[in-house]
Amino acid sequence: MTGKTGMAEPNLRIRGLSKSFGGVRALDRVDLTVPAGQVHALLGHNGAGKSTLIKCLGGAFPPDAGTIEVGGSSHTRLSPRESIAAGVAIIFQTLSVVDSLTVAENIFLGQEWTKYGRIDRRAQEDVAAGLLQRVAANCSPRDRVGELPMGQRQLVEIAKALSRSASVLVLDEPTAALSGAESDALAERVEDLRTQGLAIVYVTHLLAEVERLADTVTVLRDGRVTHQSEVSGRSRQELVDAIVGPAPPVSPGTTTRAPARSDAPRPVCLTVDGLRGPGFGPVDVDVAEGEIVGLFGLIGSGRTRVLETLFGRRRASGGTVRVKGRAVEATRPADALAAGIALVPADRRRQGLFPVLSAQDNALLPAIRPLARRGVRALRAERRIFGALCEAVGLRPARPGLPAAAFSGGNQQKLVLGRWINEAHHVDVLLLDEPTQGVDVGARQEIYQVVSSLAAQGGTAVLFASSDPEEVVALAHRCLIVSAGRITGELSGAELTEAALLSAVHDPAPATSEGAA
Amino acid sequence: MTTATTSPADRLVPGPRALAGSGLDTVRRHPLLVVLALMVLVFQLTTGSFLDGGNLRGIATDAATLTLVAVPLALLVISGYLDLSVGSTVALGGLVAGWLAGQQHLSPVVAVLGALVVGAAVGAVNGILCCYLGLSSFIVTLGMLTAVRGLAQQLFPLPLSGFGSGFAWLGGSRIAGIDAPVVIALLVLVAGALFLALTPAGRHVFAIGVNREAAHLSGISVRRTPFALFVVTSVAAALAGAIKASVLDSAVAGTSGAGFELTVLTAVLLGGVALTGGSGSVFGVLLGVLFLGCLQNGLTLLNVPTFWQQMAQGIALAAGAALAYFGPRLTR
Repeated sequence: MTGKTGMAEPNLRIRGLSKSFGGVRALDRVDLTVPAGQVHALLGHNGAGKSTLIKCLGGAFPPDAGTIEVGGSSHTRLSPRESIAAGVAIIFQTLSVVDSLTVAENIFLGQEWTKYGRIDRRAQEDVAAGLLQRVAANCSPRDRVGELPMGQRQLVEIAKALSRSASVLVLDEPTAALSGAESDALAERVEDLRTQGLAIVYVTHLLAEVERLADTVTVLRDGRVTHQSEVSGRSRQELVDAIVGPAPPVSPGTTTRAPARSDAPRPVCLTVDGLRGPGFGPVDVDVAEGEIVGLFGLIGSGRTRVLETLFGRRRASGGTVRVKGRAVEATRPADALAAGIALVPADRRRQGLFPVLSAQDNALLPAIRPLARRGVRALRAERRIFGALCEAVGLRPARPGLPAAAFSGGNQQKLVLGRWINEAHHVDVLLLDEPTQGVDVGARQEIYQVVSSLAAQGGTAVLFASSDPEEVVALAHRCLIVSAGRITGELSGAELTEAALLSAVHDPAPATSEGAA
Repeated sequence: MTTATTSPADRLVPGPRALAGSGLDTVRRHPLLVVLALMVLVFQLTTGSFLDGGNLRGIATDAATLTLVAVPLALLVISGYLDLSVGSTVALGGLVAGWLAGQQHLSPVVAVLGALVVGAAVGAVNGILCCYLGLSSFIVTLGMLTAVRGLAQQLFPLPLSGFGSGFAWLGGSRIAGIDAPVVIALLVLVAGALFLALTPAGRHVFAIGVNREAAHLSGISVRRTPFALFVVTSVAAALAGAIKASVLDSAVAGTSGAGFELTVLTAVLLGGVALTGGSGSVFGVLLGVLFLGCLQNGLTLLNVPTFWQQMAQGIALAAGAALAYFGPRLTR
C-alpha cells in the first residue's frame, strides 16, 4: 500500500547541481543526500538558493548541470510530471489545494478513481480516510478544504502526496503560516512520516525546528553549501555562523549605513501608539526624522500587516498614528498619501508594477494629477522630473518610453520606489516592505544608497520590513524584532548584527522591548 | 476625406514623442490599416463606385453613431470594464427623444437633453453596481441589456414616428458641408484622443486597467474614473439613439438598436483594444469602425445577402484577433 519504503540506498541524492539566472549563480555545485527515514533540514538566507533548489527538484526549472537521483533512478532534468512520477512531493508555503473542493476530491485531483466512467466517490473517500489517519488529520474526507484551518489544509496536501506514493517529501517553511499548537502537531506528523520511511527535506528559518526534527542539516549561502553535518552535537552558533558567513559582509567603513544618528535627538516624525488589527498588535513604534528603522521578523509575523495598516490598505481596529504630531486616520491609501505616508509594497508584480505601461508612467503615475494645470497634463514637467529621477536612482536603461516589463527586477523596484521620491511628491514617512526582494546585488546597494540619502538629506522617516538580516544590518539604524504580531525586542548600534537578529527571532524570549520613549 | 481629418487625432494618442517616425510605426501598431486599405482598393475595383462621394458620405453617416459609442466604450474597456447594455440604451434614448419631440411637442434641444438624462441614469446604475459594489461588469451590463429593453417596451409599447422637422435637423442637417452626426463623431474622436493623451485621468484609465491594486496603492481613485466612463458611454448610446431616431423619423422599442452592443464591441476589439484592459487607442477604434462600415457597405454594393455579411463580420473579428496576436510578431 505504501509503495517502496526503507532501503539502504539513499532515497534522494543530488550531485553537483548548478543553476544560473542571467549570470547570477543561484546554485553552485550543490550536493545533498537524504536517506529514506531521515529528515534533512535546509537553512539559509532569503536568496541563498533554497527555493531554486526546491524548484529544480520539482521540475519548475531545468538545472544547468548536475544530477538528481530519486529512489535509484537518475535524472539530469525533470519536468513537473516526471518529478511527481519519480516520487517527489513538494508542499509549498502557498498551498496548492483547491478551496472549493472536498478533502477527498483534493487528494485525488488529477488521478480520480472512476467506475463506469464516473468518479467513484465512495472508494475515494474510503482511501482518503485511511490517508488522513496516516497523517493524523482530524478532518473528514467530505469537508470542504476552504473551511479547514491552515494546519489541516497542509495535512490534506501531505495526504495527497502520500496517495501518489511519494518517497521524497519537501516541506517549504511549513510552520510559517501555522499557530504554535498547529506547529507542534506538524512536528509530530513529520516524526511519523520519518518512521514510515520517507526522505524528508525540511526548509526553515528556525534553528529550534532544526534541532528538534532534523537528522542532518545543509546550510546554503549565495548558492553554495557552506555547512553540511549531522545535527546532534552541533551548537546553534556553528549554524548561525554558516548562515551569516565568515566575515561581516558590510564592513564598518562602507557608506551604506549613513551616520544619521547624531547625538542631538531628531524630532519624532512617525508616532504609532497601540496600533491593532487582525493578526497583530498592539504595536508601538516611533521613527524620528531622518531615521531608518527596520522591522525584522519571519514571514507571517505580521510585519506586512503593520505597514499596510499604516498605509490605509487595511483597517486598524485600534490605536493612533501621528505624522509630525498630526493625527492620521487612513482608511484608503489616498488618505495616507495625503498625510505624507507612502508605501512600496513587497509584491511588485501584483501590487506595484504596471508592466505594459512605460517606465515614465510607472514612476510618475501619482504625480501626473498634481503636476497638471487646469486639467491638462504638464508633459514637459513630467519628462524633466523623470529625467532627474533616473539620475537619482540610477535607472538603466534611462528610457522613458520603454515598458516596465522590459526592465530588470532591480530597475523595476527603482521605478516603484521612484513614485514617492521625486520632486513632485513630498513624503514624510516612507514605508518599505521587503525593499529588495527579487533585486540583484548591484541594484540592492543602489537602493540602499537612495533610501539612506533620502533619510539623511530629506529628513524622511523610513520604516521597512525585512526577513533578510543582511539587509537589516546594511540599511537600518535601529531594528525592532517582530514575532506573532508583536514587537518582542529592539537592537541598535553595535548590537545590531546578523547573528543577534537571527538568535532574536529564534528564541523569542530574551530582551523584552522597553516602551522606547 | 474621413481619414484625412483624423490624422491629428492619431498623433495625439501616443503623445508628442510619436511625431517623429510615426508612419511605419503606426502601420506596425495598427495592422488593420493595411487590411482596410486593401479592402477599399478591392471594393473600388470590383464595384467601380465605392469611392464615389455619395457612397463615402453614406459610410460616414453609418459609421458616425458607431464611433460615437465605440470611443467611450473603448475607454471603459481599457480601464478593465465592459458595457453590453448600449444596444438597449440606444433604443430607450431614441424613444425618449422622439416622444418628447413628437408626442410632447417640446423643442428638439429639450428632447435630446431628455434622452441624455435617461442615458446618464442607465450609466449610473451600471457604474454603481460595477465600480462601487464590485460586481462583474459582464454580468451587470448583460442584465441591464435585457432590463432596459424591457423598460423601453413597457413605456413605449407602440412604435413612435413623426417627430417633426425640428428634430430631423439632428440627423439630417449639414455643418460646413458635413452631416451633423459625422461632425459629432469627429468631435468625440478628438475628445477621446485628447482625453487619453493629455489628461491625468487618461493615464489613470490605463493604470487601472493594467493593475487595479497597484493603481489603488498609488493613491488613484480607482472607482471614480470608470464610473464616469460608464455614465459617458450610456449618454453616448442615448445620443446615438436620438440621432438614429432623427434620421429614420421612427423608433421601435423592440428592434431599435438590437445587436448594436455587439457591433460596437466588435469595432472596439478590431481596433486593437484589449478585452483584458490596459491597452488600446482611439485611432485604432476609428480603424475598427471604418473597417466594419466599409465591409458592410462594399458587400451591399456587391449584392451579397445579409446573412453572408454577418458571417463576414464575424470572421473579420476572429481574423482581427489573430492579426492583433500575430501581426506584431511578423513585422518584428
